[in-house]
Amino acid sequence: MKKITLSAQNLIKRYGGVVALANGNLSISSGEVLALVGANGSGKSTLGKIITGVVQPDGGDLHVDGQPVRLGSPQVARRLGITAVYQELSLIADMSVTENIWLSHEPRRWGLVDTRQMDRHTETLLELFAGTVSPNLQPSTLIGELPPDEKQVVEILKALSWDPRLIILDEATASLDSRQVARLFELVARWQADGRAVIIVSHRMEENYRVAQRATVLRGGEAVADRVLADTPTAELVQLMIPDSAVRVKKTAADDELTQRPVRLAVNHLKTKRLKDISLSIRDGELLGIGGLRGQGQEELLRALFGVVPYEGEVRVSQKDVHFKHPQEAIGHGVALVPGDRGTEGLLLSRSILENLQLPSWAQYGRILNMKSARSDAQAAGRDLRLKMGALSDPVSSLSGGNAQKVVLGKWLLRSPKLLLLNDPTKGVDVGAKGEFYQILDSLRAAGTAVLFYSSDDEELLWLCDRILVMHDGGVSAELHGEHLTHANLVAASMGSVGSMENHV
Amino acid sequence: MTIRGYKFPAPLIALSLAVLLFFLGGVLRSGFANWEQAVNIVRLAAFLGIIAAGQTLVIISGGEGIDLSVGSVVTLGALIMFRIGDGSNSMILPALVLALAAGGMIGLINGLGIAFVRIPPLVMTLGMTGVVQGVILGFTQGVLEGETPPLLATIITRPIVGRVPGIVFFWLIFGLGMWLLIERTAYGKKLFAIGTNRVAATLSGVRVNREILITYALSGLLAALGGVIVLGFTDIVFLNLGNRYLFPSIAAVVVGGTVLAGGQGSYWGTMSGALVLTLLTSLLTALQFSEAIQQMALGVILLLLLSIYGRQRTN
Repeated sequence: MKKITLSAQNLIKRYGGVVALANGNLSISSGEVLALVGANGSGKSTLGKIITGVVQPDGGDLHVDGQPVRLGSPQVARRLGITAVYQELSLIADMSVTENIWLSHEPRRWGLVDTRQMDRHTETLLELFAGTVSPNLQPSTLIGELPPDEKQVVEILKALSWDPRLIILDEATASLDSRQVARLFELVARWQADGRAVIIVSHRMEENYRVAQRATVLRGGEAVADRVLADTPTAELVQLMIPDSAVRVKKTAADDELTQRPVRLAVNHLKTKRLKDISLSIRDGELLGIGGLRGQGQEELLRALFGVVPYEGEVRVSQKDVHFKHPQEAIGHGVALVPGDRGTEGLLLSRSILENLQLPSWAQYGRILNMKSARSDAQAAGRDLRLKMGALSDPVSSLSGGNAQKVVLGKWLLRSPKLLLLNDPTKGVDVGAKGEFYQILDSLRAAGTAVLFYSSDDEELLWLCDRILVMHDGGVSAELHGEHLTHANLVAASMGSVGSMENHV
Repeated sequence: MTIRGYKFPAPLIALSLAVLLFFLGGVLRSGFANWEQAVNIVRLAAFLGIIAAGQTLVIISGGEGIDLSVGSVVTLGALIMFRIGDGSNSMILPALVLALAAGGMIGLINGLGIAFVRIPPLVMTLGMTGVVQGVILGFTQGVLEGETPPLLATIITRPIVGRVPGIVFFWLIFGLGMWLLIERTAYGKKLFAIGTNRVAATLSGVRVNREILITYALSGLLAALGGVIVLGFTDIVFLNLGNRYLFPSIAAVVVGGTVLAGGQGSYWGTMSGALVLTLLTSLLTALQFSEAIQQMALGVILLLLLSIYGRQRTN
């Protein structure tokens, strides 16, 4: 194995007016495992993408083996021996495992693809994970037939097939189970011994400590520290990522009054494929936040409560035992869900604003629909939401992002929900519309609606909620309220580290 | 097509084309554009229009929705009326109920296969065509005994006002009913919803599988109704009576501006589409083109029309 050294200095990357990376620094050489850590939006992914040639920097220097380089494309980076494993998979569902792994560098013989050799190489690669994957994972299996964890394994093997000198594992463990993670880390140790260099990006703090010797900390697009992990406790590392750990006490004036109110939703030991034993309760007029890193089961929790995902466990809505098997049943009990992706899950884009607003409610306008009253109800909802639109008959695709999101919310307001489930509702919504959205939430809360609110925006959660459940890996890692409701606690609990916390569940 | 900022809806384009073709026919061949011919064309279009009604619903429902079994169900509906009705006016009603039930049942099985077993509609309904044809052959052994009840033929073909036969009035009332079903019932609103985005529909409380079942069952039922009505016109049954309506039934829906991908469309579009197709065929026949030229001309004109709609959608 030819040795590699890579160093990045003062890398800058802007997207329009947003600075994703202000001062990216990093260095690594053969036989090292480096952890790249930072909160959401600190520039980890951008830095990783620059090193693998996916993204071109706007400034700064990159040196490989002491030579200045320009990585114009992933191909250039691969030729230098740099590959990455991403969480968002780059696999093609209709092609086999072998075809995916060797795509664009198929072994050849007489100018033709040598399928025998390709299958043989694939089997060798698959043996690396033997025992941790199902026997169904064979060179000829189609990617589309594999579960997410095995797809991720193939993605790892695909990167490995280039025989890289430097491998970047960007959230590569997120969908793997613990045995597969253990195997991957054995491999990382072996690669290290072989003289390869590895950069790991993981939201799970313990994983960073398990495999890496050194950590580079990014904060707000800048590399702020470079630490030897053996000498750095987790709390200190978190502190470096999020310096603001000042105690911030929420207004709790309404607390006493709140505890007098009836419990709208009580969940006991809820389990799904992804969720491990969730218990929670919300009272009328309460806004309970759900935090944590993306993809820790927050969406699954909301979907289970709405009858979309099958679950086990007790759920009580309005003091009645329920077990929803279809959203229609949940809607019948006054539950509403604003899904995470309004384009694919929330809206009928080519249909009118009227039809979108009234979709859950048509049945109440008679056998032959009373369009006049359906229209005037929708018009009134539009006014309440301050919906900027031409006419009710215009397609919803004519609206801006924020206004379209108001339609998704509006279709539930027309039904006066008792329990509102929100899945990251302000994602991709402009600041002005966000403010209006908060006002609507506030008036709903004042009217006694219980709100369960997942947001990927930590600031927003801290600002809006009196109480936050932090989810990690399908479970609740902490419940924060009162003086413990700080950004530092939220981030620490998000990483699954509860050492610095006193009131974890 | 956009003129001075106004977007013409596809059904209106199709309807204008029908009128244009009618008078063009009058110019090209004297005697084409007269009242009698107009009535005749509307009557022929009515058969196609009624048979294509179920197809309209299925195509709007999306999910690659299409019903290829309408041809064989049309034959089955006609056959049941022919056999059970057997020339007796008092048997019309029982035979009609039986025909509709049989058609609805076949559609329901289509719907079950598509919604619950997740067989693609094209495959499911194509397979069903074979099954229905097999059943027809098995029951009749190829011998078609029976007689059309005279009252049925009278209702459908006898002129009521100004030489306009009953079927034309029936078609207008039927069209109104379809409009109500699609635009003014919860079923219709949910139909557009599942045709546009099934995930969003489910998350808004729509029971998607139930909508699919109802839609395919309705399609079977309406095709059987079409078969009964066609019988009133042809008076006799033959084993491939319905087959020639299959592709025109899809073409009429599409010419009427209903989108094959689902989620957008109308029945008055399908009515216009049926008129355009019937007029084109009549005109090409009247101009005494050979069968080969007729087929080619029909294909080219359909492509032209659809390319106009396509441009309209991308604009």
